[in-house]
Amino acid sequence: MIKEQFEMTGRYKQWAYALMGVGVLALVLGFVFLKPTGDANSFGVTKFWAVLMHNSIFFLLITIASMFFISATTMAMGGWQTAMRRVPEAISGFVYIGGAIALVVLLGYVFGSQNTAIYHWKDAEHVAHDKVLNGKKGFLNPTFYSIATILVIGTWIALRHWYRKVSLAEDAGEQGDRSYFWKTIVICAAFIVVYGLTVGSTTPWLWLMSIDAHWFSTMYSWYTFASSWVAGLSLIMLFIVYLKNQGYLEYVNEEHIHDVGKFMFAFSIFWTYLWFSQYMLIWYSNQPEETVYFQPRLKGPYSGIFYLNLIINFVAPILILMKRSAKRNYATVTFMSVVLIFGHWLDFYQMIMPGSLKGDENGGNSIGLFLFDMGVAAGFIGLVMLVAGNKLTKASLLPKNHPFVKESIVHHT
Amino acid sequence: MSLLKYESTLREPLVDGEKTYHQVTEDICRPVEEKANTGWKIGFTISVALLLFGVYSVYREVTYGIGQWNLNKTIGWGWDITNFVWWVGIGHAGTLISAILLLFRQGWRTGVNRAAEAMTIFAVMCAGQFPIFHMGRVWDAFFVLPYANSRGPLWVNFASPLLWDVFAISTYFTVSLLFWYSGLIPDFATIRDRAKTKARKLWYGVVSFGWTGSTKHWQRHESLSLVLAGLSTPLVLSVHTIVSFDFATSVVPGWHTTIFPPYFVAGAIFSGFAMVQTLMLVTRKVMKLDDYITLGHIEAMNKVIVLTGSIVGIAYLTELFMAWYGGSKFEFDAFYKYRIAGPYGWSYWTMMTCNVISPQLFWSKKLRRNVAFTFIMSIVVNIGMWFERFVIIVTSVYRDYIPSSWSVYYRPTIWEVGFYLGTFGLFFTCYFLFSKFAPVIAIAEIKHVLKTSGESFKEKMDVIEKESVEHFAHEHAHAH
Amino acid sequence: MGQVKKYVVGCFDDENVLFPAVKKVRAAGYKIQDVYTPMPVHGLDHALGMRETSLHTAGFIYGITGTTTALTCMSWIFTSDWPLNIGGKPHLPLPAFIPITFELTVLFAAVGMVLTFCYLCQLAPFVKKHHFHERATDDLMVMVIECTAKTNEEEVKAMLNSNGAVEVNVQEAPVGWWLGRYDRPSKLFKTREVAY
Repeated sequence: MIKEQFEMTGRYKQWAYALMGVGVLALVLGFVFLKPTGDANSFGVTKFWAVLMHNSIFFLLITIASMFFISATTMAMGGWQTAMRRVPEAISGFVYIGGAIALVVLLGYVFGSQNTAIYHWKDAEHVAHDKVLNGKKGFLNPTFYSIATILVIGTWIALRHWYRKVSLAEDAGEQGDRSYFWKTIVICAAFIVVYGLTVGSTTPWLWLMSIDAHWFSTMYSWYTFASSWVAGLSLIMLFIVYLKNQGYLEYVNEEHIHDVGKFMFAFSIFWTYLWFSQYMLIWYSNQPEETVYFQPRLKGPYSGIFYLNLIINFVAPILILMKRSAKRNYATVTFMSVVLIFGHWLDFYQMIMPGSLKGDENGGNSIGLFLFDMGVAAGFIGLVMLVAGNKLTKASLLPKNHPFVKESIVHHT
Repeated sequence: MSLLKYESTLREPLVDGEKTYHQVTEDICRPVEEKANTGWKIGFTISVALLLFGVYSVYREVTYGIGQWNLNKTIGWGWDITNFVWWVGIGHAGTLISAILLLFRQGWRTGVNRAAEAMTIFAVMCAGQFPIFHMGRVWDAFFVLPYANSRGPLWVNFASPLLWDVFAISTYFTVSLLFWYSGLIPDFATIRDRAKTKARKLWYGVVSFGWTGSTKHWQRHESLSLVLAGLSTPLVLSVHTIVSFDFATSVVPGWHTTIFPPYFVAGAIFSGFAMVQTLMLVTRKVMKLDDYITLGHIEAMNKVIVLTGSIVGIAYLTELFMAWYGGSKFEFDAFYKYRIAGPYGWSYWTMMTCNVISPQLFWSKKLRRNVAFTFIMSIVVNIGMWFERFVIIVTSVYRDYIPSSWSVYYRPTIWEVGFYLGTFGLFFTCYFLFSKFAPVIAIAEIKHVLKTSGESFKEKMDVIEKESVEHFAHEHAHAH
Repeated sequence: MGQVKKYVVGCFDDENVLFPAVKKVRAAGYKIQDVYTPMPVHGLDHALGMRETSLHTAGFIYGITGTTTALTCMSWIFTSDWPLNIGGKPHLPLPAFIPITFELTVLFAAVGMVLTFCYLCQLAPFVKKHHFHERATDDLMVMVIECTAKTNEEEVKAMLNSNGAVEVNVQEAPVGWWLGRYDRPSKLFKTREVAY
C-alpha cells in the first residue's frame, strides 16, 4: 500500500517549533537591544523594521511563487508535475498567514511607526521640500500604499483559496471527470494575470523599490520576480526531497526531481541575465540618478554581499547543477536548494538594507547584527514548515483524479 | 524500459487521421517529389520580382550614397534600423520553438519547428542587410571584423554594443543554421532513399551526408540536438538583448531603460510567432498538411501570442509609468509629449492597438481556433511590431534637446521602401525554395511522437484512461 | 572501403516487436552490428548495450575554449596591445566584455560539437555507406547481425522470423564508408557487385 497521507512526525514538529522559538527569541532580543520604541529614526528602529519587512516580504513572495508554479504549468498543459502537485499547493497555503504577517508589518510600519528612514516618502514634510518625491506623491503615499497592499494580498489569498477548493473537490469527484481541470484552467489564467500585474510590475515598486525612493529602474519588478521564483522553486524541491525521504510520494522519482532541477538551473541563469542587464545598462550609461543605487552596494560594507550574491546565485548553480547526474541526485539538489534559498534571501537583503540604513552612521556596522536577521528568518522558516506541513496532512499526496496523473507516473526525461 | 506509449486523452492529437510511419513519409515527401503547382510558381515569381526591385534599390543607395534615403540630421536611424530590428525579432521564433519549447516539453512544436527554423535563418539573412548597407560605404564593411590590419594595429571597439551585434547576429545565424541542418540530415536521407531520378539521387545523396539511421548515430544526434537546444535558449535571448543594448546603453530618453532586454525578447517571440502563423496557415493549406499542422497547433501558438503580447503590454505600461515616476523632465517629455502625442502619435497608438489590445481577443477559445481570424491577427501583430521599433527609434530622436535641431517630418523615399520590400522578396524566395526542395515538417520527429500523439493511436488509450491509478501504476511505473 | 563482411538482416515494422527480438538475439550470443531506424527509438541504445555518448562533454570543453579565447583576446587588446580611453571606462571594462564572451562560448561549443558529431558518425557530403534496406529511413527498423565463421545463417534467419521480422535476408557488405555518389551504383569489386 502506498503512503498517500502525510503525517507530521514529532521530529518535524519539534524542528518547526524550535525554529519558530528562535524567531520569537530573536524578536524579543531585537526588542531589547534595538529598542524599536526609541528615537524614531535611530539605527535600532530602522534596523528592526527593515528586518521584519525583509523577511515577511521574502517569505511571502517565495511561497506565492508556488502558486505561480502551479498556474504556469497548468496553463502550459504540463503533465509531469501532477504527481507532486500537492507540494506547491501546500506551500502556497502559507499565503494566508504570511500575507497577514506582511500586511501587519507593512501597514504597521507605514502607520504605526514614526520612523521614515526606510520609506522616506512617508514623511510629508520631507516630501514637500523634495522635488523628486513631491512628483511621485500620487503613487507613493500611505493611502495608496495600504489600499494596494490589501488588494494584492487579498487577491492572492482569494485565488489560492479557490484553486485549492477545486483541487480538493476533484479528489472527491469521479475518475475521468474533467470539469475540475477546466475550472483550474480558469483560476490559473486569472492568477497569471494577477501575478503579472502585481509581482510582475506594481508590487515590488511599492514595497521594495520605494525604499530607494529617488531611484528607479524599469527592470526592478522582473528582477524581483526572478529572484523570488528561483527561491520558490528551491523550496518546492526541498519539500519533495523531504517527503521522498519519509517514504511518501511514491510516484515521484529522479525524473521529476530532474525537471525541477532544470527549472532551478535555468531560472538561476535567467536571474543572472536580468541582474546583468540591469547592472550593465546602469554602469554603461553612468547617469548619477541611476548609479546612486549601486554606489552603496558596490562600495563599503555591502560590497562583500554584492559579489557573494553573484557567486551563490550564479556561479554555484551553473557549476553544480549543469550536469544531468547532479540534477538527479537527491543530496546535490537538496544542497543547492538550501544554497539558493539563502542566496536569494541575501539578494533581498541587499535590495532592502543599504537603502534603509543609508545615511545612518551605524549603517556601516549593520552587517555585524546579521544574527538578528537570521533569527527572524529562522522563525519564518519554522512557520513555513509548520503551515505547509499542516496543509500537506489535509489531503492525499496524490491528486488521483487529475487527468494528467498517469502521464506524471510514467514521466521520464 | 517500459514499452508503454501513453499520453492523456485530454491532449489533442498532434497528427490527425489514420497514419502509419510510411504514410507520414508519403504525406510529407509528396510536395517535395511532385512538380511545383501554379500557386507555387506565381508566388515564387512575385518574390523574385520583389527581390530584384530590392537589389535595384540597394544599387541606388550604394552608388549614390545614403542621400537616397530620407534620413536626416537627428533621425540617423529610420526605416533601415527599424527593419533590421523587426527582421531579427521575427528570426527568434524558430529557435524558440525548437529550443525553449523542447526544454519545456511542448509536444506540439514537432509539427512546426522545421519550417520555423528555416524562417529564422531567412529572417536573420534579411536583417543582416540593413546594418551592412546602412554603413554607406559598404565595401568597407569588413572593418567590423576584429583583426589588427593595415589600418595600423587599431582594433574594433569591443565595448561597443554595435560590435556586440556583429558577434551576436553572426553567431546566431551560424548556430541556427547548424541546428536546422543537423535536423534535416535524416529527413534528406529519407528523400534520398525514395528518389527515382538520377538528379534527385545525386542531390539528396550529397545533402544527406551518407546518413544511415544507425542507432549509435541517433543517440549522438539526440544528444547533439539537446545540447544545441540548451545553447540556443540563452543564445536566442542574448541576440535580441544585444539588439536592445544598441539603444539602452545610450543616454537618449526613451532608449535608456533597464527593462529593454527582456522586453525586446518578449516582443521578438511575439512577432516571430505571428510570422510563423502567417506562413504555416498558408503552408498547411497549399501543401495539404493540415493533418500535421492541426487546429491544436494553431491554438497553442495563439496562446503564446496572447501571453507574449501581454508581457509586452506590461513593459509598455512600465515604461510609461517610470517616465512619470522617475521625475526626469526629458524622459517625461520623450514619452508623454513626443511619443503618445506629437506628429508621430499615430504610430504609437497603432502599436498599442495591434500589439496589446487586439491580441487580447485570443482569450476566446473560439477565436484562437478560427483560421481566418488567426491569419488576420498574425498580420496585425507584425504590423504592430514593426511600429514598435519605429516608435522606439524615430520618436526618441526626432526632437533633440534644442528645438533648433528638431527635424522635419520623416517620410521614407521609394528606395528606402524598396529595400524593405526587397528583403521580403529575399525572405519569400528562400522560403519557397525551401518548401519545394526540403521537407517542411520534421519527418523523423513526427514518427517519434506518432504512436503517443497520433489520432488513431490515441483512440486506443481510452482503455488505459479507464484503469484505476493504482492498477496503472502497478503495471507501468518504473521502480527507482 | 575496407573489408567485406557477411550479415544477416532482419527488418521489423514495430518497436514493440523489435525490443523483445533484440533481447533474444543478444541472449543467444549473436553480435548485433547495428539497428537502423527511421527515427530515434527511445531506449534502443540501452537495449543494444551501448554506452552513453560523451558528445556533450566535448561541447563543454569547446565552450570553455570559446570563453577563454574571447576574454584573453579582448583583455590583451584593450590593456596591452592598443589601450584606448572609451567613454571614461576602465581599460578592462569587464561588463562590456560579457556579451562577446558569451557569444563566442556558444559559437565554439556549437560549431565544435557539430563537427565532432559529423566526424564520429562519418557524415559529410559525398560520403557513401552501405544501406541494408532502402526503407530503413522510411518505416522499417533494420537489425543487422554480423556473421562469423561459426555462425549458422539459417538458424539466425529462423530466429528472426520466429521473432516477428517482416523480412529476412543475408547480405555481404563493406565495413565503413567511402567517397561516392548515390546516383551511381558502386562497383566495389571486380567480381562482385554489392546489392542495394
